[in-house]
Amino acid sequence: MANIGIDLGTTNSLVAVVMNGRARCLLDEAGSSMLPSAVRYDADGTVVVGRTARDEAPANAHRTFTSVKRFMGRAPADCGADAQLFRYRMDATEPRFVRFEVDDHAPVTPVEVSAEVLKVLRTRAVECLFGEPGGAVITVPAYFDDAQRQATKDAAKIAGLEVLRLLNEPTAAAIAYGLDKRGAGTFAVYDLGGGTFDISILQLDDGVFQVLSTAGDTHLGGDDFDRALAEHALGGAANAAKLDDAAFRALVSAARAAKHQLTEHGAARIAAAGVDVEVTVADFEAAILPIIERTTASCKRALADAKLASGQVDAVVLVGGSTRVPLVRRHVAALFGREPYCDLDPDEVVALGAAMQADILSGKSELAEDILLLDVIPLSLGLEVMGGVTEKFIPRCSTIPVNAHQTFTTHVDNQTAVDLHVVQGDRELAGQNRSLARFELRGLPPLPAGVPRVRVEFTVDADGLLHVSALEEHTGIEAKIDVKPSYGLTEEEIERMLEDAIDHAETDVDERLLIEARVEAEGILAALEKALGMDQALLQGNEAEVISQVETALRASMSGGDRERISSLSKKLDEVSAPFAQRRIERDLTRALSGRDASVVGAELGMK
Amino acid sequence: MASNRSVCFSCREPVHAPSCVGCGALQPPPPTPDPFELFGLPHRFHVDVSDVDAKYRAIARSTHPDRFTTRPAVERRMSLQWTAALNEAKRVLKDDRLRARWLATGRATAAEDARRQMDPAFLAQMFEWREAEEESPGSTHAEAAAARDALLAEIDAAFTAWEAGTGTLDHVEDRLLRLNYVEGLLRPAPEA
Repeated sequence: MANIGIDLGTTNSLVAVVMNGRARCLLDEAGSSMLPSAVRYDADGTVVVGRTARDEAPANAHRTFTSVKRFMGRAPADCGADAQLFRYRMDATEPRFVRFEVDDHAPVTPVEVSAEVLKVLRTRAVECLFGEPGGAVITVPAYFDDAQRQATKDAAKIAGLEVLRLLNEPTAAAIAYGLDKRGAGTFAVYDLGGGTFDISILQLDDGVFQVLSTAGDTHLGGDDFDRALAEHALGGAANAAKLDDAAFRALVSAARAAKHQLTEHGAARIAAAGVDVEVTVADFEAAILPIIERTTASCKRALADAKLASGQVDAVVLVGGSTRVPLVRRHVAALFGREPYCDLDPDEVVALGAAMQADILSGKSELAEDILLLDVIPLSLGLEVMGGVTEKFIPRCSTIPVNAHQTFTTHVDNQTAVDLHVVQGDRELAGQNRSLARFELRGLPPLPAGVPRVRVEFTVDADGLLHVSALEEHTGIEAKIDVKPSYGLTEEEIERMLEDAIDHAETDVDERLLIEARVEAEGILAALEKALGMDQALLQGNEAEVISQVETALRASMSGGDRERISSLSKKLDEVSAPFAQRRIERDLTRALSGRDASVVGAELGMK
Repeated sequence: MASNRSVCFSCREPVHAPSCVGCGALQPPPPTPDPFELFGLPHRFHVDVSDVDAKYRAIARSTHPDRFTTRPAVERRMSLQWTAALNEAKRVLKDDRLRARWLATGRATAAEDARRQMDPAFLAQMFEWREAEEESPGSTHAEAAAARDALLAEIDAAFTAWEAGTGTLDHVEDRLLRLNYVEGLLRPAPEA
């Protein structure tokens, strides 16, 4: 049950896996690794995903969705320009998330559209691997905020994927490059895709990939090049507004085809929507220069956050289909004062890196046992305090996981609830940042004003997602927290979408859950066996006996079809071996701490 | 989540130390871990932080959540907390200001009341310079830079004396706050 890596892209999506120590992208029947991220909902209920949906989009303007990544985790109010760009009709009655209106079909959310793309990739993995994949590492733009990350995770859940980790795209690319080259040093990853731009500065040392800083724009990419070229062909943006939706989408498609030709040819023809013009490379470059220049500020900020000058970067790596545009390459070369690397296919490199991380996370990796990724949070987290000012509690580019705590009190006697508003961003005023969620702490003991001390703990996990917990310090009472995410779907909405998805595949579900239970059991058994092989001496009392009893029972249960029994025995085995596992962790930590030469210890630990 | 546990999560014996005496299990890190202790460094401001990164990598390899994806939830949670504590400790150790404040106060962030207790004469001076800056930007830079250097020297001297066992760190937090004000004058206006 191999873990898979998925690049859920704006324009194209890919799935990759590590086989025989090598990461490779899985291909469709036609031999292509790329699945266009295009989904069409037909009147008869059929869902068409991929190349056909993309190519027939102009004729099906209001039932085909492309580039939905731009709408993930956003509210209709954030997306006016993008909806205009794609001529989508949004249902404006729901302020928390985007919902597209579809001809002859119920409205769909970007999360559901993305889930359709993921389902096709999952099926591809099942076919290529002859079985259900294990867990999935799914990549997201490094600059995605909490809501955008959560939306991606929700889509995976609806598609029936177990998400092992959300991995930042530039970091994924760095693994693919770093593992190839086994180098050390500081490098920049410039990732310009169909709809998102990221710049990450990383340090590679001794197998540890440490992201020093990241910056970007989640609404900037090749889509904007297409539109700029289409508008140029029409003689201005004003003329574009006059076209109907089908004609406009046909014109943008023609512009995209012309863009691809201009990578290698001096001129190309755009013929669609009553337009027939020749465009030259010079026309194209003039049209897109302002868009490319928008990446400069992000690059400068990332360098400043990493406390580096552009000359101190050892190498620059290009990722994303839009970096095939020669002007982009020249721009990057000028910005960093060196020729960028593009040895690996910029379309595949992110998926390959995701597969490598998925393999590393399996705990059974042959590829890279001693590789460790340390990523950062892209935007500062803060609280709205008196006067609408933001008080940061976690600064941007902090290494994750990270936590922070703040203590709050009450303003009136017997107050039993406190409201917190968490925002993401670096602006002074809370209203200028992006609202993440409102947390209501309830169940505080009734005490005079100012007496309660509510300690609120904010934790950002390795996926870059925020978790909040709270405790009243005098009484030790854990406050109940009601989370009201400002954007995105609620738990219940996800569950409903999940049920809808499962309805269509009822029969598969039991079988899948059984397989998942077996996979989990296999993982636990393998890890335990390895640990026992190395550290038998750390067992105490009758532990060996107890563990072996449960182990035997679990192995016996795995050949049967009783999923509940497999799961409960897996859990039992975990419980009885937990103290042993803790001793191992503690021993490793003590060793790491007392070691005179930390690098030697590091190598030792890494060898496990 | 990071409440101060009083019983071992594993064997339910009472615990008062990082590890359970009963079964040896690693407990969640304390709510406010000592960054120096985590990295095995003495409580000194003048400490060699050059090997913090190497030590950090060594410890992170055994605590990072990536190493626990196939382990039970309880271990995954502890791994998350340990690594978060480790990341915070590294941040404090590598930053002179944070390290100084932590040694002086046991916190890495400024206390609310410390700001309120600032010397009015100092605040008046800052106000005056701020107004002069608005009139003609850069006009107070020389004075502000001198004030900054004096504060840095004062902080450094306080730690040198303290490390020799002859002084206190009572004024360090106040001087760090003053430093913030003074440096605010030296920074160009923030971008919009």
